[in-house]
Amino acid sequence: MPDKTITYEELAPGYKFPPAVYELSASFVSKYLKAVDSVSDGFVPPLAITACAIAAMTGSIPLPTGTIAIHASQELEFFKLVPIGDTIECHIGVAQKIARGKMSMLILEIEVFDKGKEKVQSGRATIALPT
Amino acid sequence: MLTEIQEGKALNPVVRHITQEKINLYAEASGDFNPIHVDESFAANTPLGGTIAHGMLNLAYVSEMMTSAFGRSWLSGGKLRAKFKESARPGDTLTINGKIDCIEQKDDVPYANCSFECRNQRGEIIVTGEAIIKLSSDKR
Repeated sequence: MPDKTITYEELAPGYKFPPAVYELSASFVSKYLKAVDSVSDGFVPPLAITACAIAAMTGSIPLPTGTIAIHASQELEFFKLVPIGDTIECHIGVAQKIARGKMSMLILEIEVFDKGKEKVQSGRATIALPT
Repeated sequence: MLTEIQEGKALNPVVRHITQEKINLYAEASGDFNPIHVDESFAANTPLGGTIAHGMLNLAYVSEMMTSAFGRSWLSGGKLRAKFKESARPGDTLTINGKIDCIEQKDDVPYANCSFECRNQRGEIIVTGEAIIKLSSDKR
């Protein structure tokens, strides 16, 4: 759900969205693997974890009405494998906000931690918001 | 996994066909129901003219190629940078290719620097990028 505590206009570099928690259940992993035509190797695919983080991110952005969000670029770094059944916590923050004519860009930083608070992956996403 | 890791080596390509059903499955799995992906009538009235696949679905295919080549070295020590150049749409067939550009030593640890690209059936680049994998000693 979009972060109701802030509007898009108020988003500024340094802003942190409320963390999102996901349980990486066997049924979630199975659904993900089916969607990406892949098979299990006993761990949660790192891109499945990123998918949760991106969903948390795009769901959190309080977009102006009628705006579509387009994923323009993505950086990722994987630090450790996560067993199926674990819980992760996704932290999303605003790194940059750029306005160029009819295009706005949000650069967001993503950090994902496991239940032991160890970093699982980090990344940076650029979201284009044509108006 | 690759039996031999050397500069210039091509990674085994991954080919995937995109359908609206797969996009919907990805939306359900990821929880990303942005209407540009799943609402055909909404998407038809945007500048994109129709639904598009999630960028992360395309990137999942890139990760599959990297996993197939490097196994756990990728899963727990990989790094990537990707640009989504064009949208993948229902009906597209995507081919993901990659190769090892160079192998570098940093503090006596070998790293494979790879480049990759994802093209549709018309040869248009959908995703392009680079990946770095920290190689364990038994990988060379």
